[in-house]
Amino acid sequence: MLKDDSPSVPADPGQNFTVEARESVVLKPQSPGMTAAACIAGLLVPGLGHFLLKRWVRGALLLVSIVLLFIVGLGMDGQLYRPPETGQWISFNTLGCFADAGIGIPYLVAVGKGMGAGVPTSQTFDYGWAYLIVAGLLNYLVVLDVFDIAQGRKP
Amino acid sequence: MKLSHFEALTVFALLVSIVFAITTKNTPRAQLQYGVLVFFSFLAVAIVVGWIMYPLPF
Repeated sequence: MLKDDSPSVPADPGQNFTVEARESVVLKPQSPGMTAAACIAGLLVPGLGHFLLKRWVRGALLLVSIVLLFIVGLGMDGQLYRPPETGQWISFNTLGCFADAGIGIPYLVAVGKGMGAGVPTSQTFDYGWAYLIVAGLLNYLVVLDVFDIAQGRKP
Repeated sequence: MKLSHFEALTVFALLVSIVFAITTKNTPRAQLQYGVLVFFSFLAVAIVVGWIMYPLPF
């Protein structure tokens, strides 16, 4: 049985919720344009979609957590997957690239600057690899959260 | 950046539990409770699995 605060339970649209910092929020679906803008912003920068929907504290916590995960992953000599070359799209590398790229602009900046080459002999290489993968995948989860908020399913 | 295994898994558990709590619960109180539960669950499972694997020779 699902608990009442589970996101799978549709919230009552007329109900007032108090979210972070005693901010009162009424569940109200956003326009399709705003929903798309928030989701795309969330894909580009973790937490930016929440900022657009005025969920300031949540957005800040998500931004700090995910970007920190990414930075620590790079610092631990983790490997970032690069986009596969032509003809090699069906590969483990494609999946890894999809996961890493989920964090958006930080991935592009890191790849552009040649970071995340990975040092397999490093003691922390495996941890760094996992940090980078998880940072990207968590941001996809955050984008789904932005979508739910924009649709008025979640305060 | 050199972290021990325990430090690395603690940082990982902390950051991931924050994201899980925010994305799966609606109210700040429920988020805090769930975040703490997930954080300590991560640590507990890692320690238990570590001890189970300790005698394995490979």
